[in-house]
Amino acid sequence: MPNRLPLDDVKICDFMWVMAGPASTRILADYGATVVRIESPNRIDTARTLGPHLDNKVGPDSSGLFANCNAGKLGISLDLGNPSAREVVHDLVRWADVVTESFSPKAMRAWGFDYESLRKVNPAIIMLSSCLMGQTGPLAKIVGFGNMAAAISGFHNLTGWPDRPPAGVFGAYTDYVSPRFTAMAILAALDYRRRTGVGQYIDQSQAECSIHFLGPAILDYTVNRRVGERVGNSDSVFAPHGVYPADGDDQWVAIVCRNDDDWRQLCSAMENNDLARDSRFATASGRREHRHSIDSSIAAWSRTRDGAAIESLLQSRGVPSHQVQNSAAAYRDPQLAHRGHFVTLDHPTVGKFTVEGPRAKLSRTPAAVRRSAPTLGQDNQHVLESILGYDETQISELVASGALG
Amino acid sequence: MLTPYRVLDLTTERGLICGQMLGDLGADVVKVEPVGGSSARQIGPFYKDQPHPNRSLYWWAYNRNKRSITLDIECDAGRYLLNRLVERADFLLESHNPGYLAERKLGYADLASINPALIYVSITPFGHDGPKATYADSDLIIMAAGGPLILAGDEDRPPVRLSIPQAYLHACADAAVGALAAHHERTSSGLGQHIDVAAQQSVAMATQSNILCAPLGAPENRRISGGVKIAGIDIPLVWPAKDGFVAITFLFGSALGIFTARLMRYICEQGFCDEATRDKDWISFGENLFSGVEPLSEFERVKELVRDFTLSHTKAELLELAVDRGFLITPVTTIAEVVESPQFASRGYFQNVAHPELGESFVYPGSFAKFSASPIEYRLRPPTIGEHNFKIYRGELGLSEHEITELTRAGII
Repeated sequence: MPNRLPLDDVKICDFMWVMAGPASTRILADYGATVVRIESPNRIDTARTLGPHLDNKVGPDSSGLFANCNAGKLGISLDLGNPSAREVVHDLVRWADVVTESFSPKAMRAWGFDYESLRKVNPAIIMLSSCLMGQTGPLAKIVGFGNMAAAISGFHNLTGWPDRPPAGVFGAYTDYVSPRFTAMAILAALDYRRRTGVGQYIDQSQAECSIHFLGPAILDYTVNRRVGERVGNSDSVFAPHGVYPADGDDQWVAIVCRNDDDWRQLCSAMENNDLARDSRFATASGRREHRHSIDSSIAAWSRTRDGAAIESLLQSRGVPSHQVQNSAAAYRDPQLAHRGHFVTLDHPTVGKFTVEGPRAKLSRTPAAVRRSAPTLGQDNQHVLESILGYDETQISELVASGALG
Repeated sequence: MLTPYRVLDLTTERGLICGQMLGDLGADVVKVEPVGGSSARQIGPFYKDQPHPNRSLYWWAYNRNKRSITLDIECDAGRYLLNRLVERADFLLESHNPGYLAERKLGYADLASINPALIYVSITPFGHDGPKATYADSDLIIMAAGGPLILAGDEDRPPVRLSIPQAYLHACADAAVGALAAHHERTSSGLGQHIDVAAQQSVAMATQSNILCAPLGAPENRRISGGVKIAGIDIPLVWPAKDGFVAITFLFGSALGIFTARLMRYICEQGFCDEATRDKDWISFGENLFSGVEPLSEFERVKELVRDFTLSHTKAELLELAVDRGFLITPVTTIAEVVESPQFASRGYFQNVAHPELGESFVYPGSFAKFSASPIEYRLRPPTIGEHNFKIYRGELGLSEHEITELTRAGII
C-alpha cells in the first residue's frame, strides 16, 4: 500500500503565479494536497521565462524555477476573461477547500472571482490572497516582484558592506520567506474550519509577513531608535566570523569562532602559533577589535587550500566551517544527497527534470514529489472529466468557446 | 485558530520563531527554559542597551504569544515533570544537536511511548542524520552550505550574508508548516510523528532555484552588487536615486519585457532617451544580448540613461510613478523608513505590545496575515523567565506550594 500523504484529502484551486504563491502551494502539494493550478493561455507565467533553464535553453517548459515551484500540481489552461471560464471556476471552487491567488489586488474582483463572489458559490471556502503589499493601503496596487518587496521591507539595505552601497539580498527574497507563512495560514484556517465549519478570507502581504524575519532590527529601532545598518559578514558576538578565499575561481570558505575554544582550535589547525599566543586575540572582543588583522592572516592561510578540505579539517576540530557552495558543490554535497534534496522526475516534453525535494521529513507520512510541474494545460482533460465530472459534450463546448486557449 | 492545542517549546536560540508562529495562530505555547533562562536571552540588542535576560530584543522578537516555565531537564526529577507535560501536549519543538535529547531519554521514541499523538519537531543545522549531521554550525555556516551566500555581495569581495541572521528562521518556518501538515493527518489517524528539518535544506529556498543550475546544465550566476551577473552580463536590480537607492525589475523576456518597454516609454517622454532606444524590442532584448545580436556596449548605454533618469528623481518620486504608472520600482528602505511607512500604518500593521514589567509599550511587527474570521491576536508579550511556573506547575500539574518550593530550592525549576 502506498504511503499515505498527510494532506491527501485537501483540495486547492490555485490561481497563484510567478514565485511566492506557487512556492507555497508546492509545499502543500508535497504533503499530498490536490492542487489544480490555473494558468492563462494568453499571458505566460513570468516564472516560465526565468532561469535557470534546462540545458540553458529558453522555452516554456525549460524553466527550473517554474518546475521547482509547481512540481506535484495538476495544470489547466483557462482564460479567466472568457465568459465560458466562469462556470469552470465556480465548479472548481465548489470542489475545493481552498482558493489561492497572487494577482495584484482587484484582478480577481474584475473577473468576479473575489471572496464575496466565491463564498456565494461555496460558503465554507477558505480564500487566500497574497500580494506584495496587501489588499489595502496606498501601495496596494503596486505591481511587482519579490526583489521589490525585499527592497521596501528593509532586507536590501541590510545586505552588503558598510563602506559600499547596499549589495542587496539575492533575488526576490520575500518570495522565499512568504510561502511558508502562506502555507501555515492555510493549514491553520483548515483546522479552524474543521472545528467550527467557518471558512474565511486571508489577506497576506508578502512584505508584512517577511518583516518577521527582521524582528530584532525592527525592535532595535522601535525600542532604542537605532537604525540598523549592513555590517558585511561581521557578527555582534562571534569573532572571527567571515568568508575567506579558497583555492580556485570564486571559491570561498566560511569560518566562525563561537568562543575562545574554537579560536584555539582554529589557530592550531592553521599551525599558527603567533596568532594563538597573541594576547590581543585571547577574547572575542579583542578579536572583533583586531578583526582586519586576523582576517588577513586567515585569508593568507586559506587562499591556497581547497575549501572543502578546510571545512573537513576545521569541522574535525569542532570549529564551524563550510565551503561556500554554489550549485555544483551543492549537487555533489554528500549531506544534501543523503537528505534526498535533489529529485529527478519524468517530464512529458523534456524527458527528465530535477527539482528540489520536500524540506521537512515526516517520519510516518513523509512528503513526496509526485510528478513534474505541468505543461500549459496538461491536465485539462483529467481535471474537467475526473475532478469536475464534465461529459464529452461539455468539454467540447468549452474547447470551442476558446476558454481553454 | 489553533487555540485548543498545547505546544511545548524546548528550542534553543536556533528554533524560537517556530513556536511564535504557532502562538500567533492561537496555540498555547509553553516555552520550557533552563533554570536561569534560555541562552537566547543573552543575545543582543537589548532594551536601552542594558544586558539583562528579560530585556533582550532578540528574545522579544521571537517569543511573543508564549508562556514560560523553567525546568532542569538534566536531572530525573526535571525529566519526570517534562514527561507529565508531554502527556497533555500536542506538539513538542526542539532545536538541540542531534541526539542530545535522546541521550536524556527525551527523544521522539521516548516521548511517543508516553503520548503517541505527539508531533515532535526537530530543527537542526544539517538534519538528524547524514555525514554532516554533527557539524558545528552558525547562521553564516548554514547560508554557505545551503547555497544563498555565494549569490550575494560585491564582485570584488567575499560573498556576504544578510546582517540579521536568517538561516534558522527559514528552518523554523518549514518546521511550522510540517507540524501543521502532520497535525492535519493526526485529526484522522490520531497518531503523531517525528519531523526532522535541516536548516541547510531550508535556506536553499533562498537561491531562487539557482541551486538547480548544475543538475539542469545551466551556467551558475555570479554575484554583483545590487544585481546579478548572468552569462557574464551585469544585470543591475538596484539603481541609484537622488536620495538613496531603488529596486527596479528591469528585465526582459515575454513576461517582463512589457514592463521594461513601459518604463522606457516614460523615460523617453521625460527626455532621457531617443525614440529609437524607446522602441527597441525589450521582450527579446535579453536573448539578443546573450546571442550577441545586441552588443554589450548597447546595454551599457541603456543602463547609463536609465541611471540618469533614476538619479534625477527621489525614492518617493519613483515610488509614486511606480504606483501611478505600473512601473516595477520600489525604494530601498532603512529600518526607520519601514517602521514609519504610511502603507503599513494604513493597514494597522505595526502593533503596540505592553510590557508592564517596564511600564512601557513597544511597537512590534504585526500580524503576518489578516484573517477575516479568526484574526491573529497578540495575547502575550514575550515572557520573563519562568513567569508562568506557578500557574502551570500548581494550576495544571497540581503540585502543592510546598513541592514547588522544594523544586525551586533544588534548582529544578
